[in-house]
Amino acid sequence: MTDTSDAATRRARRLLRFYPRGWRARYGEEFAQLLIDDMSERPRSVTRTADVVRTGLLARVACTGLAGDTLEPVQQIRAGLAAVGCALIAFLAFGVAIWSQLTIGWQWSAPAAPATKTAMLVMTGVIFVFAVLALLAAIPLVCTLCRTFVQRRASGLVGPVMAVVVGAIVLVAGSIHFGHGWPGTGGHPWAGRDVVPIAVARFCWAATLWITSYWAHPGALASFPMSEITWMVASPIALLAVLIGAAKTLRRLPLSPRALRYESWLGTAAALAMAGFLAGAGSWIISGGPAPRGLFRVGAIDSAGVAVMAAALILAFRAAQRALTASLIRSSTR
Amino acid sequence: MARTEAAQTDEPTKSEALSTFGRYAGPATLILSSLAEGTKHGYALTKDIEEFADVRIAPGTLYEALARLERQGLIEPVESHDRRRPYRLTADGALALRAHLDSQRRVADVGLRRLASSTETG
Repeated sequence: MTDTSDAATRRARRLLRFYPRGWRARYGEEFAQLLIDDMSERPRSVTRTADVVRTGLLARVACTGLAGDTLEPVQQIRAGLAAVGCALIAFLAFGVAIWSQLTIGWQWSAPAAPATKTAMLVMTGVIFVFAVLALLAAIPLVCTLCRTFVQRRASGLVGPVMAVVVGAIVLVAGSIHFGHGWPGTGGHPWAGRDVVPIAVARFCWAATLWITSYWAHPGALASFPMSEITWMVASPIALLAVLIGAAKTLRRLPLSPRALRYESWLGTAAALAMAGFLAGAGSWIISGGPAPRGLFRVGAIDSAGVAVMAAALILAFRAAQRALTASLIRSSTR
Repeated sequence: MARTEAAQTDEPTKSEALSTFGRYAGPATLILSSLAEGTKHGYALTKDIEEFADVRIAPGTLYEALARLERQGLIEPVESHDRRRPYRLTADGALALRAHLDSQRRVADVGLRRLASSTETG
Protein backbone atom coordinates (compact mmCIF):
# COMPACT_ATOMS: atom_id res chain seq x y z
CA MET A 1 0.00 0.00 0.00
CA THR A 2 1.34 3.46 -0.89
CA ASP A 3 1.80 6.31 1.59
CA THR A 4 -1.06 8.19 -0.10
CA SER A 5 -3.55 5.35 0.29
CA ASP A 6 -2.33 4.75 3.86
CA ALA A 7 -3.04 8.39 4.66
CA ALA A 8 -6.46 8.20 2.96
CA THR A 9 -7.33 5.06 4.96
CA ARG A 10 -6.33 6.77 8.20
CA ARG A 11 -8.38 9.86 7.35
CA ALA A 12 -11.38 7.76 6.38
CA ARG A 13 -11.14 5.89 9.72
CA ARG A 14 -10.98 9.20 11.58
CA LEU A 15 -14.05 10.55 9.77
CA LEU A 16 -15.91 7.33 10.46
CA ARG A 17 -15.73 8.05 14.21
CA PHE A 18 -18.40 10.73 13.80
CA TYR A 19 -20.96 7.95 13.27
CA PRO A 20 -22.45 5.84 16.08
CA ARG A 21 -21.18 2.33 16.71
CA GLY A 22 -24.26 0.57 15.30
CA TRP A 23 -24.06 2.54 12.06
CA ARG A 24 -20.33 1.80 11.74
CA ALA A 25 -20.95 -1.91 12.27
CA ARG A 26 -23.40 -1.96 9.35
CA TYR A 27 -21.96 0.57 6.89
CA GLY A 28 -18.45 1.31 8.21
CA GLU A 29 -16.37 -0.79 5.80
CA GLU A 30 -18.15 0.21 2.60
CA PHE A 31 -18.45 3.86 3.66
CA ALA A 32 -14.72 4.03 4.48
CA GLN A 33 -14.01 2.59 1.01
CA LEU A 34 -16.24 5.23 -0.60
CA LEU A 35 -14.33 7.94 1.29
CA ILE A 36 -11.00 6.47 0.15
CA ASP A 37 -12.24 6.37 -3.47
CA ASP A 38 -13.49 9.95 -3.17
CA MET A 39 -10.16 11.08 -1.66
CA SER A 40 -8.27 9.54 -4.57
CA GLU A 41 -10.16 11.92 -6.85
CA ARG A 42 -10.37 14.93 -4.50
CA PRO A 43 -7.59 14.63 -1.89
CA ARG A 44 -8.81 17.62 0.11
CA SER A 45 -12.43 18.73 0.37
CA VAL A 46 -13.92 20.86 3.12
CA THR A 47 -17.41 20.14 1.74
CA ARG A 48 -16.88 16.38 2.08
CA THR A 49 -15.58 16.69 5.66
CA ALA A 50 -18.46 19.00 6.64
CA ASP A 51 -20.96 16.60 5.04
CA VAL A 52 -19.53 13.59 6.91
CA VAL A 53 -19.52 15.51 10.22
CA ARG A 54 -23.12 16.69 9.68
CA THR A 55 -24.54 13.30 8.69
CA GLY A 56 -22.48 11.50 11.37
CA LEU A 57 -23.77 13.77 14.12
CA LEU A 58 -27.32 13.47 12.75
CA ALA A 59 -26.98 9.67 12.91
CA ARG A 60 -25.85 10.02 16.54
CA VAL A 61 -28.80 12.25 17.39
CA ALA A 62 -31.13 9.76 15.66
CA CYS A 63 -29.70 7.04 17.96
CA THR A 64 -30.81 9.02 21.01
CA GLY A 65 -34.37 9.05 19.66
CA LEU A 66 -34.46 12.86 19.47
CA ALA A 67 -34.63 13.12 15.66
CA GLY A 68 -35.12 11.11 12.51
CA ASP A 69 -37.09 7.92 12.00
CA THR A 70 -34.27 5.40 11.91
CA LEU A 71 -35.31 3.55 15.05
CA GLU A 72 -37.92 0.82 15.36
CA PRO A 73 -40.86 1.87 17.61
CA VAL A 74 -39.61 -0.17 20.58
CA GLN A 75 -36.10 1.24 20.21
CA GLN A 76 -37.58 4.72 19.80
CA ILE A 77 -39.50 4.37 23.08
CA ARG A 78 -36.45 3.05 24.95
CA ALA A 79 -34.16 5.73 23.49
CA GLY A 80 -36.74 8.44 24.22
CA LEU A 81 -37.13 7.30 27.83
CA ALA A 82 -33.35 7.16 28.28
CA ALA A 83 -33.10 10.72 26.89
CA VAL A 84 -35.87 11.91 29.25
CA GLY A 85 -34.00 10.28 32.16
CA CYS A 86 -30.70 11.96 31.22
CA ALA A 87 -32.34 15.35 30.69
CA LEU A 88 -34.18 15.01 34.01
CA ILE A 89 -31.00 14.15 35.94
CA ALA A 90 -29.16 17.15 34.41
CA PHE A 91 -32.18 19.37 35.08
CA LEU A 92 -32.44 18.23 38.70
CA ALA A 93 -28.73 18.72 39.36
CA PHE A 94 -28.96 22.41 38.49
CA GLY A 95 -32.50 22.85 39.80
CA VAL A 96 -31.72 21.33 43.18
CA ALA A 97 -28.58 23.49 43.41
CA ILE A 98 -30.73 26.63 43.07
CA TRP A 99 -33.47 25.32 45.32
CA SER A 100 -31.08 24.25 48.10
CA GLN A 101 -29.38 27.68 48.06
CA LEU A 102 -32.77 29.35 48.48
CA THR A 103 -33.61 26.89 51.24
CA ILE A 104 -30.48 27.98 53.10
CA GLY A 105 -31.62 31.60 52.78
CA TRP A 106 -35.08 30.70 54.08
CA GLN A 107 -33.49 28.96 57.08
CA TRP A 108 -32.19 32.35 58.19
CA SER A 109 -35.01 34.57 57.09
CA ALA A 110 -38.18 34.25 55.01
CA PRO A 111 -37.85 35.99 51.62
CA ALA A 112 -39.29 39.50 51.40
CA ALA A 113 -40.20 39.40 47.69
CA PRO A 114 -43.49 37.57 46.95
CA ALA A 115 -41.94 36.26 43.71
CA THR A 116 -39.14 34.54 45.64
CA LYS A 117 -41.58 33.10 48.16
CA THR A 118 -43.88 31.82 45.40
CA ALA A 119 -40.90 30.46 43.45
CA MET A 120 -39.68 28.54 46.50
CA LEU A 121 -43.10 27.07 47.21
CA VAL A 122 -43.61 26.09 43.55
CA MET A 123 -40.15 24.48 43.33
CA THR A 124 -40.66 22.65 46.63
CA GLY A 125 -44.04 21.36 45.46
CA VAL A 126 -42.58 20.19 42.15
CA ILE A 127 -39.70 18.40 43.90
CA PHE A 128 -42.35 16.47 45.81
CA VAL A 129 -44.04 15.66 42.46
CA PHE A 130 -40.65 14.49 41.09
CA ALA A 131 -40.25 12.18 44.08
CA VAL A 132 -43.69 10.65 43.49
CA LEU A 133 -43.03 10.25 39.75
CA ALA A 134 -39.63 8.66 40.45
CA LEU A 135 -41.25 6.18 42.80
CA LEU A 136 -43.97 5.34 40.26
CA ALA A 137 -41.38 4.96 37.49
CA ALA A 138 -39.08 2.81 39.62
CA ILE A 139 -41.67 0.13 40.43
CA PRO A 140 -41.89 -1.58 36.99
CA LEU A 141 -38.19 -0.94 36.35
CA VAL A 142 -37.06 -2.62 39.57
CA CYS A 143 -39.54 -5.51 39.12
CA THR A 144 -38.34 -6.15 35.55
CA LEU A 145 -34.71 -5.80 36.62
CA CYS A 146 -35.14 -8.34 39.45
CA ARG A 147 -36.95 -10.76 37.14
CA THR A 148 -34.23 -10.40 34.51
CA PHE A 149 -31.50 -11.09 37.06
CA VAL A 150 -33.37 -14.09 38.53
CA GLN A 151 -33.84 -15.54 35.02
CA ARG A 152 -30.11 -14.96 34.35
CA ARG A 153 -30.81 -12.87 31.24
CA ALA A 154 -29.06 -9.75 32.51
CA SER A 155 -25.62 -10.11 30.93
CA GLY A 156 -25.74 -6.67 29.27
CA LEU A 157 -27.25 -5.03 32.34
CA VAL A 158 -24.65 -5.85 35.01
CA GLY A 159 -22.26 -3.01 34.05
CA PRO A 160 -24.90 -0.23 33.76
CA VAL A 161 -26.68 -1.32 36.96
CA MET A 162 -23.35 -1.42 38.82
CA ALA A 163 -22.59 2.12 37.56
CA VAL A 164 -25.96 3.35 38.89
CA VAL A 165 -25.56 1.59 42.24
CA VAL A 166 -21.93 2.64 42.85
CA GLY A 167 -22.61 6.22 41.65
CA ALA A 168 -25.70 6.47 43.86
CA ILE A 169 -23.85 5.07 46.92
CA VAL A 170 -21.03 7.62 46.44
CA LEU A 171 -23.55 10.47 46.01
CA VAL A 172 -25.67 9.51 49.02
CA ALA A 173 -22.75 8.75 51.36
CA GLY A 174 -20.82 11.86 50.31
CA SER A 175 -23.88 14.12 50.53
CA ILE A 176 -24.68 12.88 54.04
CA HIS A 177 -21.06 13.37 55.12
CA PHE A 178 -20.56 16.82 53.59
CA GLY A 179 -24.09 17.91 54.49
CA HIS A 180 -22.88 18.37 58.06
CA GLY A 181 -20.87 21.37 56.89
CA TRP A 182 -23.81 23.23 55.35
CA PRO A 183 -24.25 26.91 56.13
CA GLY A 184 -27.83 26.55 57.41
CA THR A 185 -28.86 27.50 60.89
CA GLY A 186 -27.89 24.20 62.50
CA GLY A 187 -28.67 24.70 66.16
CA HIS A 188 -29.46 28.40 65.69
CA PRO A 189 -32.47 29.63 67.66
CA TRP A 190 -34.13 30.80 64.44
CA ALA A 191 -34.17 27.23 63.13
CA GLY A 192 -37.65 26.06 62.29
CA ARG A 193 -38.44 28.68 59.66
CA ASP A 194 -37.51 26.07 57.07
CA VAL A 195 -39.83 25.27 54.17
CA VAL A 196 -38.49 21.69 54.07
CA PRO A 197 -36.86 19.45 56.71
CA ILE A 198 -33.26 20.53 57.38
CA ALA A 199 -31.90 17.04 56.66
CA VAL A 200 -33.33 17.16 53.11
CA ALA A 201 -32.09 20.69 52.47
CA ARG A 202 -28.52 20.05 53.60
CA PHE A 203 -28.37 16.73 51.73
CA CYS A 204 -29.38 18.49 48.49
CA TRP A 205 -26.94 21.34 49.14
CA ALA A 206 -24.03 18.90 49.61
CA ALA A 207 -25.00 16.80 46.57
CA THR A 208 -24.83 19.88 44.32
CA LEU A 209 -21.84 21.57 45.95
CA TRP A 210 -19.93 21.30 42.66
CA ILE A 211 -22.36 23.68 40.91
CA THR A 212 -20.67 26.86 42.03
CA SER A 213 -19.08 29.97 40.59
CA TYR A 214 -15.97 29.25 42.70
CA TRP A 215 -14.60 27.32 39.71
CA ALA A 216 -14.09 30.72 38.07
CA HIS A 217 -12.16 31.94 41.14
CA PRO A 218 -9.35 29.42 41.71
CA GLY A 219 -7.78 31.58 44.43
CA ALA A 220 -10.90 31.43 46.57
CA LEU A 221 -11.43 27.76 45.73
CA ALA A 222 -7.91 26.91 46.94
CA SER A 223 -8.85 28.07 50.43
CA PHE A 224 -11.46 25.27 50.66
CA PRO A 225 -10.50 22.10 52.60
CA MET A 226 -8.95 19.50 50.28
CA SER A 227 -11.65 16.96 51.18
CA GLU A 228 -14.34 19.39 50.01
CA ILE A 229 -12.57 20.09 46.72
CA THR A 230 -12.18 16.33 46.19
CA TRP A 231 -15.90 15.94 46.80
CA MET A 232 -16.68 18.74 44.32
CA VAL A 233 -14.75 16.78 41.67
CA ALA A 234 -15.96 13.30 42.67
CA SER A 235 -19.67 14.08 42.98
CA PRO A 236 -20.25 15.13 39.32
CA ILE A 237 -18.31 12.04 38.21
CA ALA A 238 -20.59 9.89 40.39
CA LEU A 239 -23.62 11.70 38.93
CA LEU A 240 -22.32 11.06 35.41
CA ALA A 241 -21.94 7.36 36.25
CA VAL A 242 -25.57 7.29 37.44
CA LEU A 243 -26.70 9.15 34.30
CA ILE A 244 -24.86 6.89 31.82
CA GLY A 245 -25.76 3.72 33.75
CA ALA A 246 -29.44 4.69 33.95
CA ALA A 247 -29.59 5.51 30.24
CA LYS A 248 -27.97 2.18 29.28
CA THR A 249 -30.20 0.25 31.69
CA LEU A 250 -33.33 1.87 30.24
CA ARG A 251 -32.22 1.05 26.70
CA ARG A 252 -31.45 -2.59 27.51
CA LEU A 253 -34.09 -3.54 30.05
CA PRO A 254 -36.67 -5.88 28.44
CA LEU A 255 -39.75 -3.90 29.52
CA SER A 256 -43.17 -5.07 28.32
CA PRO A 257 -45.07 -2.86 25.81
CA ARG A 258 -47.48 -1.93 28.58
CA ALA A 259 -44.65 -0.91 30.90
CA LEU A 260 -43.04 1.11 28.09
CA ARG A 261 -46.30 2.97 27.49
CA TYR A 262 -46.69 3.59 31.23
CA GLU A 263 -43.13 4.91 31.48
CA SER A 264 -43.73 7.12 28.42
CA TRP A 265 -46.72 8.75 30.15
CA LEU A 266 -44.61 9.28 33.27
CA GLY A 267 -41.86 10.79 31.09
CA THR A 268 -44.38 13.28 29.70
CA ALA A 269 -45.59 14.07 33.23
CA ALA A 270 -41.96 14.60 34.33
CA ALA A 271 -41.43 17.03 31.44
CA LEU A 272 -44.51 18.99 32.54
CA ALA A 273 -43.24 19.04 36.12
CA MET A 274 -39.88 20.31 34.83
CA ALA A 275 -41.72 23.17 33.12
CA GLY A 276 -43.40 24.03 36.45
CA PHE A 277 -40.09 23.97 38.31
CA LEU A 278 -38.42 26.11 35.65
CA ALA A 279 -41.26 28.63 35.85
CA GLY A 280 -40.63 28.88 39.59
CA ALA A 281 -36.87 29.30 39.19
CA GLY A 282 -37.40 31.77 36.36
CA SER A 283 -39.78 33.93 38.39
CA TRP A 284 -37.13 34.18 41.15
CA ILE A 285 -34.42 35.11 38.62
CA ILE A 286 -36.63 37.76 36.94
CA SER A 287 -38.70 39.22 39.79
CA GLY A 288 -37.20 37.95 43.04
CA GLY A 289 -35.41 40.39 45.30
CA PRO A 290 -32.18 39.90 47.27
CA ALA A 291 -33.73 40.92 50.58
CA PRO A 292 -33.52 40.32 53.43
CA ARG A 293 -29.74 40.59 54.04
CA GLY A 294 -28.93 39.61 50.46
CA LEU A 295 -29.88 36.00 51.18
CA PHE A 296 -31.78 35.60 47.89
CA ARG A 297 -29.43 37.42 45.54
CA VAL A 298 -29.29 36.01 42.01
CA GLY A 299 -25.76 35.06 40.88
CA ALA A 300 -24.33 34.35 37.43
CA ILE A 301 -24.24 30.64 38.27
CA ASP A 302 -28.02 30.74 38.89
CA SER A 303 -28.70 32.29 35.48
CA ALA A 304 -26.40 29.70 33.89
CA GLY A 305 -28.26 26.98 35.80
CA VAL A 306 -31.61 28.18 34.51
CA ALA A 307 -30.23 28.18 30.95
CA VAL A 308 -29.07 24.56 31.35
CA MET A 309 -32.44 23.63 32.81
CA ALA A 310 -34.25 25.26 29.87
CA ALA A 311 -32.13 23.24 27.42
CA ALA A 312 -32.78 20.04 29.41
CA LEU A 313 -36.51 20.80 29.42
CA ILE A 314 -36.60 21.19 25.62
CA LEU A 315 -34.76 17.87 25.21
CA ALA A 316 -37.02 16.12 27.72
CA PHE A 317 -40.21 17.40 26.06
CA ARG A 318 -39.06 16.31 22.63
CA ALA A 319 -37.86 12.89 23.82
CA ALA A 320 -41.00 12.30 25.91
CA GLN A 321 -43.30 13.30 23.06
CA ARG A 322 -41.46 11.02 20.60
CA ALA A 323 -41.46 8.10 23.07
CA LEU A 324 -45.17 8.55 23.80
CA THR A 325 -46.06 8.84 20.09
CA ALA A 326 -44.07 5.67 19.31
CA SER A 327 -45.72 3.80 22.18
CA LEU A 328 -49.21 4.87 21.06
CA ILE A 329 -48.48 3.94 17.41
CA ARG A 330 -47.14 0.59 18.57
CA SER A 331 -50.21 -0.17 20.67
CA SER A 332 -52.61 0.92 17.88
CA THR A 333 -50.93 -1.36 15.30
CA ARG A 334 -50.90 -4.44 17.54
CA MET B 1 -64.95 0.87 -0.74
CA ALA B 2 -62.44 -1.66 0.55
CA ARG B 3 -59.47 -0.02 2.17
CA THR B 4 -55.98 -1.40 1.97
CA GLU B 5 -54.10 -2.41 5.11
CA ALA B 6 -51.64 0.42 4.53
CA ALA B 7 -54.44 2.95 4.33
CA GLN B 8 -55.93 1.67 7.58
CA THR B 9 -52.67 2.29 9.42
CA ASP B 10 -52.15 5.67 7.71
CA GLU B 11 -48.92 4.38 6.20
CA PRO B 12 -47.98 5.38 2.65
CA THR B 13 -48.11 2.61 0.07
CA LYS B 14 -44.79 1.50 -1.45
CA SER B 15 -45.50 3.52 -4.60
CA GLU B 16 -45.86 6.64 -2.42
CA ALA B 17 -42.76 5.86 -0.37
CA LEU B 18 -40.63 8.62 -1.90
CA SER B 19 -43.19 11.28 -1.01
CA THR B 20 -42.34 10.68 2.67
CA PHE B 21 -38.63 11.31 2.13
CA GLY B 22 -38.87 15.09 2.48
CA ARG B 23 -35.42 16.65 2.03
CA TYR B 24 -34.01 13.19 1.19
CA ALA B 25 -36.27 12.87 -1.87
CA GLY B 26 -33.72 14.50 -4.19
CA PRO B 27 -30.78 12.17 -3.44
CA ALA B 28 -33.16 9.19 -3.16
CA THR B 29 -34.62 9.81 -6.64
CA LEU B 30 -31.14 10.16 -8.12
CA ILE B 31 -29.94 6.95 -6.44
CA LEU B 32 -33.00 4.95 -7.54
CA SER B 33 -32.68 6.32 -11.08
CA SER B 34 -29.05 5.26 -11.16
CA LEU B 35 -29.81 1.79 -9.80
CA ALA B 36 -32.59 1.37 -12.40
CA GLU B 37 -29.74 0.66 -14.81
CA GLY B 38 -28.22 -2.09 -12.64
CA THR B 39 -26.36 -2.77 -9.39
CA LYS B 40 -23.78 -0.20 -8.30
CA HIS B 41 -21.61 0.47 -5.25
CA GLY B 42 -21.25 3.85 -3.55
CA TYR B 43 -18.53 5.38 -5.67
CA ALA B 44 -20.06 4.08 -8.94
CA LEU B 45 -23.35 5.69 -7.88
CA THR B 46 -21.61 9.01 -7.20
CA LYS B 47 -19.93 9.00 -10.63
CA ASP B 48 -23.05 7.88 -12.51
CA ILE B 49 -25.25 10.53 -10.85
CA GLU B 50 -22.63 13.17 -11.54
CA GLU B 51 -22.67 12.15 -15.19
CA PHE B 52 -26.42 12.04 -15.84
CA ALA B 53 -27.63 14.74 -13.42
CA ASP B 54 -24.56 16.95 -13.09
CA VAL B 55 -24.88 16.67 -9.30
CA ARG B 56 -22.14 15.42 -7.00
CA ILE B 57 -23.68 13.74 -3.96
CA ALA B 58 -21.29 13.96 -0.98
CA PRO B 59 -20.46 10.60 0.68
CA GLY B 60 -22.32 11.31 3.93
CA THR B 61 -25.49 12.41 2.12
CA LEU B 62 -25.26 9.40 -0.20
CA TYR B 63 -25.12 6.90 2.65
CA GLU B 64 -27.78 8.78 4.62
CA ALA B 65 -30.12 8.25 1.66
CA LEU B 66 -28.89 4.67 0.97
CA ALA B 67 -29.58 3.66 4.59
CA ARG B 68 -33.05 5.15 4.42
CA LEU B 69 -33.86 3.49 1.09
CA GLU B 70 -32.63 0.15 2.42
CA ARG B 71 -34.75 0.51 5.56
CA GLN B 72 -37.82 1.16 3.41
CA GLY B 73 -37.05 -1.91 1.30
CA LEU B 74 -36.63 0.12 -1.90
CA ILE B 75 -33.05 -1.09 -2.43
CA GLU B 76 -31.07 -4.06 -1.11
CA PRO B 77 -27.37 -4.86 -0.74
CA VAL B 78 -25.83 -7.47 -2.98
CA GLU B 79 -23.43 -10.04 -1.50
CA SER B 80 -19.87 -9.00 -2.23
CA HIS B 81 -16.38 -10.07 -1.19
CA ASP B 82 -15.11 -6.58 -1.93
CA ARG B 83 -15.38 -3.68 0.55
CA ARG B 84 -17.32 -1.82 -2.17
CA ARG B 85 -20.76 -3.26 -1.48
CA PRO B 86 -23.14 -2.95 -4.44
CA TYR B 87 -26.85 -2.21 -4.12
CA ARG B 88 -29.76 -3.08 -6.39
CA LEU B 89 -33.27 -1.77 -6.90
CA THR B 90 -36.05 -3.95 -5.44
CA ALA B 91 -39.48 -4.41 -7.06
CA ASP B 92 -40.93 -1.96 -4.49
CA GLY B 93 -38.15 0.48 -5.30
CA ALA B 94 -38.95 0.30 -9.02
CA LEU B 95 -42.63 0.89 -8.24
CA ALA B 96 -41.84 3.88 -6.00
CA LEU B 97 -39.46 5.39 -8.55
CA ARG B 98 -41.97 5.02 -11.38
CA ALA B 99 -44.76 6.63 -9.33
CA HIS B 100 -42.51 9.49 -8.24
CA LEU B 101 -41.18 10.17 -11.74
CA ASP B 102 -44.71 10.01 -13.21
CA SER B 103 -45.85 12.60 -10.70
CA GLN B 104 -42.83 14.79 -11.46
CA ARG B 105 -43.51 14.46 -15.18
CA ARG B 106 -47.13 15.57 -14.69
CA VAL B 107 -45.89 18.68 -12.88
CA ALA B 108 -43.24 19.29 -15.55
CA ASP B 109 -45.82 18.84 -18.36
CA VAL B 110 -48.22 21.34 -16.78
CA GLY B 111 -45.42 23.86 -16.18
CA LEU B 112 -44.07 23.55 -19.73
CA ARG B 113 -47.56 23.76 -21.26
CA ARG B 114 -48.36 26.90 -19.28
CA LEU B 115 -45.02 28.46 -20.13
CA ALA B 116 -45.65 27.75 -23.84
CA SER B 117 -49.16 29.25 -23.76
CA SER B 118 -47.98 32.37 -21.89
CA THR B 119 -45.21 32.82 -24.47
CA GLU B 120 -47.77 32.56 -27.32
CA THR B 121 -50.22 35.03 -25.72
CA GLY B 122 -47.42 37.37 -24.59
